[in-house]
Amino acid sequence: MAVEFTIIIVFIVISIFISFAIGANDETFSTVHGSKTLNMKEILIFTTILAILGAFLLGRGVSETVGTKLFGSSVSEVSEAMVLTILISTSIWLIISSLLGVPISTTHSTIGSIMGVGMLVGEGLNGVNWIQIGEMSFWWILSPVLGFAATYGVYKLIHRTVINKLNGFKDFERLEKIFSYILLVTIAITAFSRAGNDCSNAVGIVIGLDAGIDINLILLVTGISFSLGIIVLGRTVIKSVGAITELVPSSAFASEVPTAGILFVGTFLGIPLSGSHMLVASLVGLSKARKAPRKKGLWKIILIWLLTFPMAALLAITLYFPIALII
Amino acid sequence: MKCVEMKGKNSRNIEEIIKEYRIELLHGAELMHKLILDFIKNKLNKKELDGVIKSEKKCDHLKDEYIQVLFQNKRALPFLVEDRYKIITLVDQVLGKVEYLARFIKIYPFDLYKDISEDFKKMCDICQQMITGLLETLELIETNFTAAYDKTFEIEAIRRPARKMKFELLGNIYKKKDEPTRIHLTSDLINNLYNIIGLIEDIADYLRGLIIKYPTR
Repeated sequence: MAVEFTIIIVFIVISIFISFAIGANDETFSTVHGSKTLNMKEILIFTTILAILGAFLLGRGVSETVGTKLFGSSVSEVSEAMVLTILISTSIWLIISSLLGVPISTTHSTIGSIMGVGMLVGEGLNGVNWIQIGEMSFWWILSPVLGFAATYGVYKLIHRTVINKLNGFKDFERLEKIFSYILLVTIAITAFSRAGNDCSNAVGIVIGLDAGIDINLILLVTGISFSLGIIVLGRTVIKSVGAITELVPSSAFASEVPTAGILFVGTFLGIPLSGSHMLVASLVGLSKARKAPRKKGLWKIILIWLLTFPMAALLAITLYFPIALII
Repeated sequence: MKCVEMKGKNSRNIEEIIKEYRIELLHGAELMHKLILDFIKNKLNKKELDGVIKSEKKCDHLKDEYIQVLFQNKRALPFLVEDRYKIITLVDQVLGKVEYLARFIKIYPFDLYKDISEDFKKMCDICQQMITGLLETLELIETNFTAAYDKTFEIEAIRRPARKMKFELLGNIYKKKDEPTRIHLTSDLINNLYNIIGLIEDIADYLRGLIIKYPTR
Protein backbone atom coordinates (compact mmCIF):
# COMPACT_ATOMS: atom_id res chain seq x y z
CA MET A 1 0.00 0.00 0.00
CA ALA A 2 1.50 3.30 -1.03
CA VAL A 3 0.90 5.88 1.63
CA GLU A 4 1.41 9.59 1.12
CA PHE A 5 4.46 11.02 2.83
CA THR A 6 2.46 13.75 4.60
CA ILE A 7 0.06 11.15 6.03
CA ILE A 8 3.01 9.18 7.41
CA ILE A 9 4.40 12.33 9.02
CA VAL A 10 0.99 13.19 10.51
CA PHE A 11 0.64 9.67 11.94
CA ILE A 12 4.17 9.73 13.37
CA VAL A 13 3.50 13.11 14.99
CA ILE A 14 0.23 11.79 16.43
CA SER A 15 1.95 8.68 17.74
CA ILE A 16 4.61 10.87 19.40
CA PHE A 17 1.84 13.02 20.87
CA ILE A 18 0.03 9.96 22.24
CA SER A 19 3.14 8.51 23.86
CA PHE A 20 3.94 11.93 25.32
CA ALA A 21 0.41 12.17 26.77
CA ILE A 22 0.57 8.68 28.28
CA GLY A 23 4.01 9.43 29.76
CA ALA A 24 2.71 12.70 31.16
CA ASN A 25 0.05 10.82 33.13
CA ASP A 26 2.34 8.02 34.32
CA GLU A 27 2.20 7.85 38.11
CA THR A 28 4.32 4.66 38.43
CA PHE A 29 7.09 6.36 40.41
CA SER A 30 4.82 8.30 42.78
CA THR A 31 5.36 5.98 45.75
CA VAL A 32 9.12 6.04 45.16
CA HIS A 33 8.99 9.83 45.28
CA GLY A 34 6.53 9.91 48.19
CA SER A 35 8.74 7.61 50.27
CA LYS A 36 11.79 9.67 49.24
CA THR A 37 13.52 6.49 48.09
CA LEU A 38 14.73 8.48 45.08
CA ASN A 39 14.58 12.20 44.46
CA MET A 40 12.85 13.67 41.40
CA LYS A 41 16.08 14.04 39.43
CA GLU A 42 16.99 10.39 40.01
CA ILE A 43 13.44 9.30 39.17
CA LEU A 44 13.50 11.20 35.89
CA ILE A 45 16.85 9.66 34.87
CA PHE A 46 15.74 6.18 35.92
CA THR A 47 12.35 6.44 34.26
CA THR A 48 13.84 7.80 31.02
CA ILE A 49 16.17 4.81 30.73
CA LEU A 50 13.35 2.37 31.56
CA ALA A 51 10.89 4.06 29.20
CA ILE A 52 13.27 3.95 26.25
CA LEU A 53 14.34 0.38 27.01
CA GLY A 54 10.74 -0.73 27.61
CA ALA A 55 9.53 0.86 24.39
CA PHE A 56 12.42 -0.52 22.40
CA LEU A 57 12.38 -4.06 23.78
CA LEU A 58 8.71 -4.64 24.53
CA GLY A 59 6.92 -2.22 22.23
CA ARG A 60 6.90 -4.52 19.23
CA GLY A 61 3.81 -6.43 20.21
CA VAL A 62 1.14 -4.14 18.86
CA SER A 63 -1.87 -4.43 21.09
CA GLU A 64 -5.44 -3.64 20.32
CA THR A 65 -5.68 0.12 20.64
CA VAL A 66 -9.42 0.57 20.61
CA GLY A 67 -12.06 -1.79 21.90
CA THR A 68 -14.29 -2.19 18.86
CA LYS A 69 -16.72 -4.21 20.98
CA LEU A 70 -17.74 -0.98 22.66
CA PHE A 71 -19.40 0.44 19.57
CA GLY A 72 -23.14 -0.15 19.25
CA SER A 73 -25.14 -1.78 16.48
CA SER A 74 -25.56 1.45 14.50
CA VAL A 75 -21.79 1.71 13.93
CA SER A 76 -21.07 -0.70 11.11
CA GLU A 77 -17.43 0.13 10.44
CA VAL A 78 -14.58 1.65 12.46
CA SER A 79 -12.77 4.12 10.20
CA GLU A 80 -9.23 5.50 10.56
CA ALA A 81 -10.69 8.90 11.40
CA MET A 82 -12.63 7.35 14.29
CA VAL A 83 -9.52 5.61 15.62
CA LEU A 84 -7.45 8.79 15.38
CA THR A 85 -10.17 10.87 17.02
CA ILE A 86 -10.33 8.44 19.94
CA LEU A 87 -6.56 8.43 20.37
CA ILE A 88 -6.15 12.20 20.08
CA SER A 89 -9.05 13.09 22.38
CA THR A 90 -7.82 10.51 24.90
CA SER A 91 -4.35 12.07 24.73
CA ILE A 92 -5.66 15.61 25.15
CA TRP A 93 -7.65 14.61 28.22
CA LEU A 94 -4.59 12.82 29.60
CA ILE A 95 -2.53 15.98 29.15
CA ILE A 96 -5.20 18.17 30.78
CA SER A 97 -5.34 15.79 33.76
CA SER A 98 -1.56 15.74 33.97
CA LEU A 99 -1.48 19.53 34.02
CA LEU A 100 -3.85 19.31 36.98
CA GLY A 101 -1.57 16.70 38.57
CA VAL A 102 -4.24 13.99 38.52
CA PRO A 103 -3.56 10.41 37.40
CA ILE A 104 -6.44 9.05 35.35
CA SER A 105 -7.13 5.74 33.74
CA THR A 106 -6.07 5.74 30.07
CA THR A 107 -8.66 3.01 29.51
CA HIS A 108 -11.45 5.17 30.95
CA SER A 109 -10.39 8.12 28.86
CA THR A 110 -10.34 5.90 25.75
CA ILE A 111 -13.79 4.54 26.56
CA GLY A 112 -15.13 8.08 27.05
CA SER A 113 -13.78 8.98 23.62
CA ILE A 114 -15.31 5.82 22.11
CA MET A 115 -18.65 6.78 23.61
CA GLY A 116 -18.39 10.25 22.06
CA VAL A 117 -17.42 8.98 18.61
CA GLY A 118 -19.93 6.14 18.83
CA MET A 119 -22.83 8.45 19.64
CA LEU A 120 -21.77 10.88 16.92
CA VAL A 121 -21.21 8.33 14.14
CA GLY A 122 -24.02 6.03 15.26
CA GLU A 123 -26.34 9.05 15.50
CA GLY A 124 -27.46 8.54 19.04
CA LEU A 125 -27.31 6.16 21.97
CA ASN A 126 -27.35 3.10 19.68
CA GLY A 127 -23.78 3.95 18.65
CA VAL A 128 -22.51 2.64 21.98
CA ASN A 129 -22.67 -0.91 23.32
CA TRP A 130 -24.10 0.00 26.73
CA ILE A 131 -24.25 -3.60 27.92
CA GLN A 132 -20.49 -3.93 27.41
CA ILE A 133 -19.92 -0.57 29.13
CA GLY A 134 -22.14 -1.72 32.02
CA GLU A 135 -20.11 -4.91 32.42
CA MET A 136 -16.89 -2.95 32.47
CA SER A 137 -18.30 -0.45 34.96
CA PHE A 138 -18.40 -3.24 37.53
CA TRP A 139 -14.60 -3.51 37.34
CA TRP A 140 -14.16 0.26 37.42
CA ILE A 141 -15.94 0.36 40.73
CA LEU A 142 -14.13 -2.73 41.94
CA SER A 143 -10.62 -1.45 41.01
CA PRO A 144 -10.34 1.14 43.79
CA VAL A 145 -12.11 -1.16 46.27
CA LEU A 146 -9.56 -3.89 45.54
CA GLY A 147 -6.64 -1.44 45.80
CA PHE A 148 -7.94 -0.12 49.11
CA ALA A 149 -8.59 -3.54 50.63
CA ALA A 150 -5.36 -5.15 49.42
CA THR A 151 -3.16 -2.36 50.75
CA TYR A 152 -5.04 -2.19 54.03
CA GLY A 153 -4.53 -5.93 54.51
CA VAL A 154 -0.89 -6.03 53.40
CA TYR A 155 0.04 -3.04 55.55
CA LYS A 156 -1.60 -4.58 58.63
CA LEU A 157 0.18 -7.86 57.93
CA ILE A 158 3.60 -6.20 57.53
CA HIS A 159 2.95 -4.14 60.61
CA ARG A 160 1.98 -7.09 62.75
CA THR A 161 4.65 -9.51 61.56
CA VAL A 162 7.63 -7.23 60.95
CA ILE A 163 7.36 -3.59 62.01
CA ASN A 164 5.97 -4.26 65.48
CA LYS A 165 9.02 -6.37 66.23
CA LEU A 166 11.53 -3.64 65.37
CA ASN A 167 13.40 -2.01 68.20
CA GLY A 168 15.42 1.14 67.69
CA PHE A 169 16.41 3.42 64.83
CA LYS A 170 18.98 0.96 63.53
CA ASP A 171 16.42 -1.80 63.07
CA PHE A 172 14.20 0.60 61.13
CA GLU A 173 17.12 1.76 59.06
CA ARG A 174 17.96 -1.81 58.08
CA LEU A 175 14.38 -2.83 57.32
CA GLU A 176 13.44 0.28 55.35
CA LYS A 177 16.58 -0.12 53.26
CA ILE A 178 15.55 -3.66 52.35
CA PHE A 179 12.05 -2.44 51.48
CA SER A 180 13.41 0.41 49.39
CA TYR A 181 15.40 -2.05 47.26
CA ILE A 182 12.39 -4.33 46.80
CA LEU A 183 10.24 -1.32 45.95
CA LEU A 184 12.73 -0.09 43.37
CA VAL A 185 12.95 -3.49 41.67
CA THR A 186 9.15 -3.79 41.57
CA ILE A 187 8.71 -0.28 40.23
CA ALA A 188 11.45 -0.78 37.66
CA ILE A 189 9.69 -3.88 36.30
CA THR A 190 6.33 -2.07 36.29
CA ALA A 191 7.76 1.02 34.55
CA PHE A 192 9.60 -1.11 32.02
CA SER A 193 6.54 -3.17 31.06
CA ARG A 194 4.23 -0.16 31.18
CA ALA A 195 6.45 1.83 28.80
CA GLY A 196 6.56 -1.14 26.45
CA ASN A 197 2.81 -1.61 26.52
CA ASP A 198 1.92 2.07 26.20
CA CYS A 199 4.42 2.76 23.44
CA SER A 200 3.16 -0.25 21.51
CA ASN A 201 -0.30 1.36 21.59
CA ALA A 202 1.16 4.63 20.37
CA VAL A 203 3.18 3.13 17.51
CA GLY A 204 0.33 0.84 16.54
CA ILE A 205 -1.25 3.47 14.30
CA VAL A 206 2.01 4.03 12.40
CA ILE A 207 2.68 0.32 11.98
CA GLY A 208 -0.90 -0.06 10.78
CA LEU A 209 -0.05 2.19 7.82
CA ASP A 210 2.32 -0.47 6.49
CA ALA A 211 4.51 2.24 4.94
CA GLY A 212 7.82 0.44 5.35
CA ILE A 213 9.06 2.63 8.19
CA ASP A 214 11.86 1.30 10.41
CA ILE A 215 9.97 0.13 13.52
CA ASN A 216 13.09 0.43 15.71
CA LEU A 217 13.36 4.11 14.93
CA ILE A 218 9.67 4.70 15.67
CA LEU A 219 9.91 2.78 18.95
CA LEU A 220 12.94 4.78 19.96
CA VAL A 221 11.21 8.06 19.13
CA THR A 222 8.02 7.14 21.00
CA GLY A 223 10.11 5.88 23.93
CA ILE A 224 11.88 9.24 24.10
CA SER A 225 8.57 11.03 23.73
CA PHE A 226 7.06 8.89 26.54
CA SER A 227 9.93 9.81 28.84
CA LEU A 228 9.66 13.46 27.79
CA GLY A 229 6.02 13.31 28.87
CA ILE A 230 7.15 12.14 32.31
CA ILE A 231 9.90 14.77 32.48
CA VAL A 232 7.72 17.70 31.35
CA LEU A 233 4.34 16.96 32.94
CA GLY A 234 4.57 13.58 34.67
CA ARG A 235 6.51 15.01 37.61
CA THR A 236 3.37 16.93 38.69
CA VAL A 237 1.34 13.71 38.75
CA ILE A 238 4.13 11.80 40.52
CA LYS A 239 4.37 14.51 43.19
CA SER A 240 0.63 14.83 43.78
CA VAL A 241 -0.02 11.06 44.06
CA GLY A 242 3.05 10.56 46.25
CA ALA A 243 1.75 13.26 48.58
CA ILE A 244 -1.67 11.68 49.25
CA THR A 245 -0.30 10.24 52.46
CA GLU A 246 3.05 10.15 54.24
CA LEU A 247 5.12 7.29 52.84
CA VAL A 248 8.20 5.35 53.84
CA PRO A 249 9.64 2.47 51.79
CA SER A 250 7.76 -0.21 53.78
CA SER A 251 4.39 1.52 53.46
CA ALA A 252 5.11 2.38 49.81
CA PHE A 253 5.78 -1.33 49.32
CA ALA A 254 2.48 -2.16 51.03
CA SER A 255 0.60 0.07 48.62
CA GLU A 256 2.51 -0.67 45.44
CA VAL A 257 3.13 -4.39 45.44
CA PRO A 258 -0.43 -5.69 46.01
CA THR A 259 -1.67 -3.21 43.40
CA ALA A 260 0.88 -4.44 40.88
CA GLY A 261 0.04 -8.06 41.74
CA ILE A 262 -3.73 -7.62 41.35
CA LEU A 263 -3.20 -5.67 38.14
CA PHE A 264 -1.05 -8.46 36.77
CA VAL A 265 -3.66 -11.10 37.60
CA GLY A 266 -6.37 -8.82 36.16
CA THR A 267 -4.48 -8.42 32.89
CA PHE A 268 -3.90 -12.16 32.75
CA LEU A 269 -7.63 -12.84 33.19
CA GLY A 270 -8.61 -10.04 30.79
CA ILE A 271 -10.23 -7.90 33.48
CA PRO A 272 -9.97 -4.16 32.72
CA LEU A 273 -8.73 -2.89 36.10
CA SER A 274 -7.38 0.63 36.37
CA GLY A 275 -3.85 0.86 37.78
CA SER A 276 -4.17 4.58 38.54
CA HIS A 277 -7.45 4.17 40.42
CA MET A 278 -6.10 1.21 42.34
CA LEU A 279 -2.95 3.04 43.36
CA VAL A 280 -4.79 6.15 44.57
CA ALA A 281 -7.29 4.00 46.47
CA SER A 282 -4.49 1.92 47.92
CA LEU A 283 -2.83 5.07 49.27
CA VAL A 284 -6.12 6.02 50.88
CA GLY A 285 -6.29 2.46 52.28
CA LEU A 286 -2.79 2.92 53.63
CA SER A 287 -3.63 6.15 55.41
CA LYS A 288 -6.70 4.44 56.92
CA ALA A 289 -4.63 1.45 58.07
CA ARG A 290 -2.02 3.75 59.63
CA LYS A 291 -4.72 6.05 61.02
CA ALA A 292 -2.71 8.85 59.45
CA PRO A 293 -4.25 12.00 58.01
CA ARG A 294 -4.63 12.29 54.25
CA LYS A 295 -3.28 15.34 52.55
CA LYS A 296 -5.42 17.60 50.42
CA GLY A 297 -6.17 16.86 46.78
CA LEU A 298 -8.13 13.61 46.95
CA TRP A 299 -11.44 15.25 46.03
CA LYS A 300 -9.83 16.91 43.01
CA ILE A 301 -8.68 13.47 41.83
CA ILE A 302 -12.17 11.97 42.29
CA LEU A 303 -13.75 14.91 40.44
CA ILE A 304 -11.40 14.48 37.48
CA TRP A 305 -12.14 10.74 37.45
CA LEU A 306 -15.86 11.47 37.28
CA LEU A 307 -15.30 14.03 34.53
CA THR A 308 -13.17 11.63 32.44
CA PHE A 309 -16.04 9.99 30.54
CA PRO A 310 -18.02 13.15 29.64
CA MET A 311 -14.92 15.23 28.90
CA ALA A 312 -13.24 12.60 26.72
CA ALA A 313 -16.56 12.07 24.91
CA LEU A 314 -16.99 15.81 24.39
CA LEU A 315 -13.44 16.16 23.08
CA ALA A 316 -14.00 13.26 20.67
CA ILE A 317 -17.26 14.80 19.38
CA THR A 318 -15.49 18.14 18.84
CA LEU A 319 -12.47 16.64 17.09
CA TYR A 320 -14.11 14.02 14.91
CA PHE A 321 -15.17 16.22 11.96
CA PRO A 322 -11.88 18.17 11.60
CA ILE A 323 -9.94 14.87 11.70
CA ALA A 324 -12.32 13.19 9.24
CA LEU A 325 -11.76 16.09 6.87
CA ILE A 326 -7.95 15.64 6.96
CA ILE A 327 -7.87 11.84 6.70
CA MET B 1 38.00 27.25 54.59
CA LYS B 2 35.72 25.68 57.16
CA CYS B 3 34.19 23.57 54.42
CA VAL B 4 37.59 22.33 53.27
CA GLU B 5 38.50 21.41 56.83
CA MET B 6 35.22 19.51 57.15
CA LYS B 7 35.82 17.57 53.96
CA GLY B 8 39.04 16.21 55.38
CA LYS B 9 37.27 15.00 58.50
CA ASN B 10 34.27 13.55 56.72
CA SER B 11 35.91 10.19 56.24
CA ARG B 12 34.99 9.62 59.90
CA ASN B 13 32.14 7.33 60.67
CA ILE B 14 28.93 8.98 61.89
CA GLU B 15 28.92 6.64 64.91
CA GLU B 16 32.39 7.81 65.92
CA ILE B 17 31.35 11.45 65.68
CA ILE B 18 28.21 11.06 67.75
CA LYS B 19 30.09 9.02 70.36
CA GLU B 20 32.70 11.77 70.65
CA TYR B 21 29.91 14.35 70.81
CA ARG B 22 28.20 12.56 73.68
CA ILE B 23 31.46 12.19 75.60
CA GLU B 24 32.23 15.89 75.14
CA LEU B 25 28.72 16.93 76.13
CA LEU B 26 28.91 14.83 79.27
CA HIS B 27 32.34 16.28 80.04
CA GLY B 28 31.00 19.84 79.65
CA ALA B 29 27.98 19.10 81.81
CA GLU B 30 30.04 17.39 84.54
CA LEU B 31 32.49 20.27 84.60
CA MET B 32 29.62 22.75 84.91
CA HIS B 33 28.14 20.70 87.74
CA LYS B 34 31.44 20.66 89.62
CA LEU B 35 31.92 24.41 89.09
CA ILE B 36 28.41 25.22 90.35
CA LEU B 37 29.15 23.22 93.48
CA ASP B 38 32.34 25.28 93.90
CA PHE B 39 30.28 28.42 93.33
CA ILE B 40 27.86 27.40 96.08
CA LYS B 41 30.82 26.87 98.42
CA ASN B 42 32.30 30.23 97.33
CA LYS B 43 35.36 28.40 96.05
CA LEU B 44 34.83 29.02 92.36
CA ASN B 45 37.77 29.95 90.16
CA LYS B 46 35.85 31.77 87.40
CA LYS B 47 38.57 31.03 84.84
CA GLU B 48 37.64 27.38 85.04
CA LEU B 49 34.26 28.27 83.49
CA ASP B 50 36.14 28.73 80.22
CA GLY B 51 36.38 24.94 80.17
CA VAL B 52 32.60 24.74 79.77
CA ILE B 53 32.69 27.33 76.97
CA LYS B 54 35.48 25.39 75.23
CA SER B 55 33.52 22.19 75.59
CA GLU B 56 30.48 23.84 73.99
CA LYS B 57 32.61 25.05 71.08
CA LYS B 58 34.03 21.57 70.56
CA CYS B 59 30.52 20.13 70.61
CA ASP B 60 29.46 22.73 68.07
CA HIS B 61 32.19 21.60 65.69
CA LEU B 62 31.28 17.97 66.23
CA LYS B 63 27.62 18.79 65.60
CA ASP B 64 28.50 20.51 62.31
CA GLU B 65 30.61 17.53 61.28
CA TYR B 66 27.81 15.13 62.25
CA ILE B 67 25.22 17.10 60.28
CA GLN B 68 27.45 17.23 57.24
CA VAL B 69 28.07 13.48 57.30
CA LEU B 70 24.38 12.90 57.99
CA PHE B 71 23.27 14.78 54.90
CA GLN B 72 26.13 13.53 52.74
CA ASN B 73 24.81 10.01 52.83
CA LYS B 74 22.49 10.19 49.85
CA ARG B 75 21.10 6.71 50.47
CA ALA B 76 20.21 7.33 54.08
CA LEU B 77 16.52 7.24 54.89
CA PRO B 78 15.23 10.82 54.72
CA PHE B 79 12.92 10.51 57.74
CA LEU B 80 15.75 9.13 59.87
CA VAL B 81 18.07 11.88 58.66
CA GLU B 82 15.44 14.49 59.52
CA ASP B 83 14.77 13.00 62.96
CA ARG B 84 18.46 12.62 63.78
CA TYR B 85 19.06 16.18 62.65
CA LYS B 86 16.24 17.41 64.87
CA ILE B 87 17.61 15.43 67.82
CA ILE B 88 21.16 16.78 67.51
CA THR B 89 19.95 20.37 67.16
CA LEU B 90 17.77 19.98 70.26
CA VAL B 91 20.57 18.40 72.27
CA ASP B 92 22.91 21.12 71.11
CA GLN B 93 20.53 23.68 72.59
CA VAL B 94 21.04 22.01 75.99
CA LEU B 95 24.77 22.60 75.84
CA GLY B 96 24.07 26.10 74.52
CA LYS B 97 22.07 26.78 77.68
CA VAL B 98 24.80 25.24 79.86
CA GLU B 99 27.31 27.55 78.20
CA TYR B 100 24.95 30.51 78.76
CA LEU B 101 24.79 29.62 82.45
CA ALA B 102 28.59 29.40 82.60
CA ARG B 103 28.91 32.86 81.05
CA PHE B 104 26.25 34.18 83.42
CA ILE B 105 28.00 32.82 86.52
CA LYS B 106 31.26 34.31 85.20
CA ILE B 107 29.81 37.80 85.39
CA TYR B 108 27.54 37.23 88.39
CA PRO B 109 29.00 39.67 90.89
CA PHE B 110 27.60 38.24 94.15
CA ASP B 111 27.90 35.18 96.36
CA LEU B 112 24.93 32.87 96.47
CA TYR B 113 22.54 33.40 99.43
CA LYS B 114 23.39 30.82 102.06
CA ASP B 115 19.75 29.98 102.79
CA ILE B 116 19.05 28.91 99.21
CA SER B 117 22.33 27.11 98.55
CA GLU B 118 21.02 23.70 99.63
CA ASP B 119 18.04 23.76 97.25
CA PHE B 120 20.13 25.30 94.50
CA LYS B 121 22.59 22.41 94.86
CA LYS B 122 19.69 19.94 94.64
CA MET B 123 18.48 21.63 91.47
CA CYS B 124 21.96 21.46 90.06
CA ASP B 125 22.16 17.71 90.85
CA ILE B 126 18.82 17.18 89.15
CA CYS B 127 20.08 19.00 86.08
CA GLN B 128 23.17 16.79 85.95
CA GLN B 129 21.09 13.63 86.40
CA MET B 130 18.79 14.74 83.60
CA ILE B 131 21.67 15.40 81.19
CA THR B 132 23.08 11.94 81.94
CA GLY B 133 19.61 10.44 81.49
CA LEU B 134 19.16 12.23 78.19
CA LEU B 135 22.47 10.94 76.86
CA GLU B 136 21.52 7.40 77.90
CA THR B 137 18.17 7.78 76.13
CA LEU B 138 19.90 8.95 72.97
CA GLU B 139 22.09 5.87 72.99
CA LEU B 140 19.17 3.55 73.74
CA ILE B 141 16.88 4.97 71.05
CA GLU B 142 19.25 3.61 68.41
CA THR B 143 18.86 0.00 69.49
CA ASN B 144 16.17 -0.35 72.13
CA PHE B 145 12.95 1.62 71.93
CA THR B 146 11.42 0.02 75.03
CA ALA B 147 14.30 0.99 77.30
CA ALA B 148 14.53 4.46 75.74
CA TYR B 149 10.79 4.95 76.26
CA ASP B 150 11.07 4.03 79.94
CA LYS B 151 14.08 6.33 80.30
CA THR B 152 12.05 9.31 79.06
CA PHE B 153 9.60 8.72 81.92
CA GLU B 154 12.51 8.54 84.36
CA ILE B 155 13.67 11.94 83.11
CA GLU B 156 10.19 13.32 83.63
CA ALA B 157 10.08 11.91 87.16
CA ILE B 158 13.45 13.49 87.99
CA ARG B 159 12.25 16.85 86.66
CA ARG B 160 9.06 17.02 88.75
CA PRO B 161 10.59 18.20 92.09
CA ALA B 162 12.79 20.71 90.24
CA ARG B 163 9.81 22.81 89.21
CA LYS B 164 8.54 23.00 92.76
CA MET B 165 12.05 23.80 93.96
CA LYS B 166 12.43 26.61 91.43
CA PHE B 167 9.36 28.44 92.71
CA GLU B 168 10.35 27.89 96.32
CA LEU B 169 13.76 29.38 95.57
CA LEU B 170 12.25 32.32 93.73
CA GLY B 171 9.73 32.83 96.55
CA ASN B 172 12.57 32.94 99.07
CA ILE B 173 14.64 35.51 97.25
CA TYR B 174 11.67 37.71 96.34
CA LYS B 175 10.91 38.04 100.06
CA LYS B 176 14.38 39.40 100.74
CA LYS B 177 14.80 43.10 101.39
CA ASP B 178 18.21 43.14 99.82
CA GLU B 179 19.77 45.04 96.95
CA PRO B 180 17.31 44.73 94.00
CA THR B 181 20.11 43.96 91.50
CA ARG B 182 21.24 40.99 93.56
CA ILE B 183 17.70 39.70 93.86
CA HIS B 184 17.08 40.16 90.17
CA LEU B 185 20.33 38.49 89.10
CA THR B 186 19.88 35.61 91.52
CA SER B 187 16.41 34.96 90.17
CA ASP B 188 17.95 34.98 86.66
CA LEU B 189 20.52 32.47 87.84
CA ILE B 190 17.79 30.13 89.08
CA ASN B 191 15.77 30.60 85.90
CA ASN B 192 18.80 29.90 83.71
CA LEU B 193 19.47 26.66 85.56
CA TYR B 194 15.82 25.65 85.37
CA ASN B 195 15.72 26.44 81.62
CA ILE B 196 18.21 23.62 81.06
CA ILE B 197 16.02 21.24 83.05
CA GLY B 198 12.89 22.34 81.18
CA LEU B 199 14.56 21.90 77.81
CA ILE B 200 15.76 18.39 78.67
CA GLU B 201 12.22 17.44 79.62
CA ASP B 202 10.95 18.82 76.30
CA ILE B 203 13.54 16.74 74.44
CA ALA B 204 12.54 13.65 76.42
CA ASP B 205 8.91 14.29 75.43
CA TYR B 206 9.92 14.68 71.80
CA LEU B 207 11.91 11.42 71.89
CA ARG B 208 8.94 9.63 73.43
CA GLY B 209 6.79 10.94 70.59
CA LEU B 210 9.28 9.63 68.05
CA ILE B 211 9.33 6.21 69.69
CA ILE B 212 5.54 6.06 69.49
CA LYS B 213 5.49 7.37 65.93
CA TYR B 214 8.05 5.01 64.41
CA PRO B 215 6.06 1.77 64.37
CA THR B 216 3.09 3.60 62.81
CA ARG B 217 5.06 5.03 59.91
